[in-house]
Amino acid sequence: MRFTKLLSAAAVSLLATGAMAQDWPAGPVDYIIPFGPGGESDITARLQQPYFAEQTGQQLVVQYQPGGGGAVGWSQLNTMSDDGSVIMGVNLPHIVIQPQTGDVGYQTDDLAVVHMFHYTPDAILVNADSDFQTLEDLVAFAKENPKQTIFSGSGKGSANHLAQVSFDEAAGIETTYVPFQGTGAAVTALLGNQVTAEWGYTTVAAQQGEAVRMLAVAMEERHPAFPDVPTFRELGYDLVGGAYRGVAVPNSASDEVKQAVADAISAINADESFRKKMIDGGFAMLDVAYGPDMDAFMAARKELYTNAAKSAGIIE
Amino acid sequence: MFEHFLAALTPFNLMLALGGVVAGTVIGSIPGLTATMAVAVLVPVTFAMTPDSALILLGAIYTGAIYGGAYSAILLRTPGTPSAIATTFDGYPMAKRGDGDLAITLACLASVAGGLVGGLALLFLAPPLAKAALAFGPVEYFWLAILGLSLISALSEGDFVKGLLGATLGLLLSMIGLSETSGEVRYTFGSTTLLGGIEVVSALIGLYCIPVLIDLASNRGRHLEEVGVKPRGFRLGEAWIALMREKVNLLRSSVIGTLVGALPGAGGSIAGLISYSEAKRTGRSEPPYGEGNPGGVVATESANNATVGGGFIPTLVLGIPGTPPDAVILGALLVQGVRTGPALFADGGSTVYTFIFGLIIATVLMLPAGLLIGRFAFNAIARAPTPALVAVVAFMTVIGSFSIRNNVNDVMMMVLLGVLGWLVAKRGFAVSPIVLGLILGQIAERGFVQSWTIGSAIEDLPGQFFGRPLAIVIIGMTLVTFLYPFVPGARAWLRGERKIRGARASGGAITADAVTFVAFLALSAGAFVFSADVNPEAAVFPRTIATAMAIFAALGLLRLVLFGQVIAAPVRGSHWRIVMLPLVLLGAVFIIKPLGFGVTGILACIALSLVATHEWKHPGGIALRIGVVVLVALAVTYGFRDLLLVPLPRGAFF
Repeated sequence: MRFTKLLSAAAVSLLATGAMAQDWPAGPVDYIIPFGPGGESDITARLQQPYFAEQTGQQLVVQYQPGGGGAVGWSQLNTMSDDGSVIMGVNLPHIVIQPQTGDVGYQTDDLAVVHMFHYTPDAILVNADSDFQTLEDLVAFAKENPKQTIFSGSGKGSANHLAQVSFDEAAGIETTYVPFQGTGAAVTALLGNQVTAEWGYTTVAAQQGEAVRMLAVAMEERHPAFPDVPTFRELGYDLVGGAYRGVAVPNSASDEVKQAVADAISAINADESFRKKMIDGGFAMLDVAYGPDMDAFMAARKELYTNAAKSAGIIE
Repeated sequence: MFEHFLAALTPFNLMLALGGVVAGTVIGSIPGLTATMAVAVLVPVTFAMTPDSALILLGAIYTGAIYGGAYSAILLRTPGTPSAIATTFDGYPMAKRGDGDLAITLACLASVAGGLVGGLALLFLAPPLAKAALAFGPVEYFWLAILGLSLISALSEGDFVKGLLGATLGLLLSMIGLSETSGEVRYTFGSTTLLGGIEVVSALIGLYCIPVLIDLASNRGRHLEEVGVKPRGFRLGEAWIALMREKVNLLRSSVIGTLVGALPGAGGSIAGLISYSEAKRTGRSEPPYGEGNPGGVVATESANNATVGGGFIPTLVLGIPGTPPDAVILGALLVQGVRTGPALFADGGSTVYTFIFGLIIATVLMLPAGLLIGRFAFNAIARAPTPALVAVVAFMTVIGSFSIRNNVNDVMMMVLLGVLGWLVAKRGFAVSPIVLGLILGQIAERGFVQSWTIGSAIEDLPGQFFGRPLAIVIIGMTLVTFLYPFVPGARAWLRGERKIRGARASGGAITADAVTFVAFLALSAGAFVFSADVNPEAAVFPRTIATAMAIFAALGLLRLVLFGQVIAAPVRGSHWRIVMLPLVLLGAVFIIKPLGFGVTGILACIALSLVATHEWKHPGGIALRIGVVVLVALAVTYGFRDLLLVPLPRGAFF
């Protein structure tokens, strides 16, 4: 335990340029979540909080600036202080889809995303008392009854919605997607048998336990907390993805600040006890940091989401 | 089970329960500081505690904040949270006639009783009630929102057509911004200010509180009726008698609050409104509801505190937050590594039961704590000189509406909606139908679009909307609620009594009303035009509302031409003061970012104190008063910044 902390501390000092390690953070850092409290963005920020304080000696102050599905915060990010005293949570696919649906006050490329630290993998869940035992049962039903397989999910143009569109194409089926306000409402509809199944995340299964059955997860390998649930790939559908969360800074920030923030988030990610808490909660870890890796990651995600959103008719 | 009761009774837990209730009551009494925020601020503090102590503290704050919202509702006609909207209907008239202290004591007793009913339901009935809540699907939520809207007929105070128009206005306002469920940007006209939509709590503050402030500033005389020389204490005896007279109302409202609280996403505002309208429908006592009947305060305050226990039912049993503060508490539990949901009750449930007893103990402690704080709040507001009251309350509305989303734009919307609220009130529109539309619009739209999607998929739209048993029950309740207020009039008409129409209104009043109705026609046309390029799913609801608005406006015009009757309120008081108050607030909005919140607060408080001063004989006294007001503003600014961690802009100064 102590050894891993030492290791990660060593990693930070190696990664960070000598000067920056002392320069940032110079004081408390405001961590703005562009949503209300209680959601996945808030929960993961709260999980990072103590590790940030432990590793940097400075406080990470979580604040909320909700509105417009995150757009209110993101449209203001570049007007904020760029000395590294402000960082903001960013979410995919939100920041790709929103600017394409209308004028939301920012463009995807305006946001200086410096680190993507985890994602909640897409998953299909059914109520525990559902007849569908496997994904194949559900696909077979959907083939025979076009449109009658009704999925709940969080939001339109969201990760859940785009996953439904991609899966329909991959499986050659036609299902109905009903957008709810947030994951909580989508789960409620599933538990109340208002819908056939839910496009949700692995986190839902972690929270609901016995009450639901997860049929497949959109990961490259099985989720460590759910070793018995197959991936879509194992079942023959090329579907990997979910809702990604990361951290951005105002784009006028210096390269040093961007690098230092990215390094700090990486160092938290490297902590074993942080990873364990995240994985137990159903999250999947990710480590895409500022630099060419991030550019490639964003470009790939952008293309994928844009295509799915076009075939869903959300954007033109 | 007794051992869990003892676990909740440790000195540390008792201290947390008492401290939480006190802190919650104080925070909740400030308009704009919601229960959600009170809970969110304290989440980091709880990380150092065991889960059951953390839950007791958060639950105590939550229940205290819901009760604290009654103070500003009763004394200032400003619901601090949506849960307290209906408290203003009778609480404020009571305060106006000098019974503010009685109303606050009554609110405390009703809150404790409602909180206990909710807490006991959580203790004994949680799993079955959670199961029952799941029977509510999108259709039921749609009809529940319509049930809420049907209260317009009871709330429109005189002019029914204007009430309907106000509701359609509120509904249209709720459509503004980026909607997560339709993924469309509507009615923002390219402005990022409108992107986040109109925040409900800041809209409430503006619509209810700004007109009160304008009237206070522009008229001589005191805010509330003089209390007399002798202090009257808590008036506990009188309050108890009033409560006993309303015991059926109390029980019914507490049960309604518990049930609505258990529905995820419905919340305290709907619970308060439904129990208020039930109380009004069945109430026979004098004075009538809306003119200061204690039953109105009992109904709302017992119902909204019952939603606390009710809201924990889906939160703890299903892992689905029943109300927004529950979402924060759920997140805090997840961070601590506590699994909510079925497992929590199943394995021994020691955390859960200790917490439930803690919540019940906190509710009981709210009785002495609430009475004492209420006494203080009443004295402070009843005795404060009007200019100081205007300045401090206006300052609170600014800082409160900022803090909800940490956004200056919400302050601007608050002031603008306040001006709109004042204007339409002078034309005989009640504010409550507008607010109803604003709160229920999104719930109704979501339910409608979801039900439509599901109904189309299963190829049974009528069955989906009208065939489900629970939906039929709610539709029945809606009809009763909507039609009941017309019963006395209809009976009289059947007996052959005809209302004698008054004389035609003056030409000026008729022209003003005609302009108002035409403005609504133009607005509905605009709503049509600007929904042209959004997808059909996102356009159907605003277009339906716009059509309804056009019909009501046309009806209003027709009635005006035929009968020439106008219900309106006269403009009273000093005109320049009426104009200056909102102007000072708007000016403040523009200097917050460049100059800093602290400076803005000082300048605005000085300006508002001067605007509201009518008597200039004692310059020394005026200066002293202004000094005190500025000190209060500074203390509140620092409290918000350093204790509540609200990122108030620092600007060039501080």
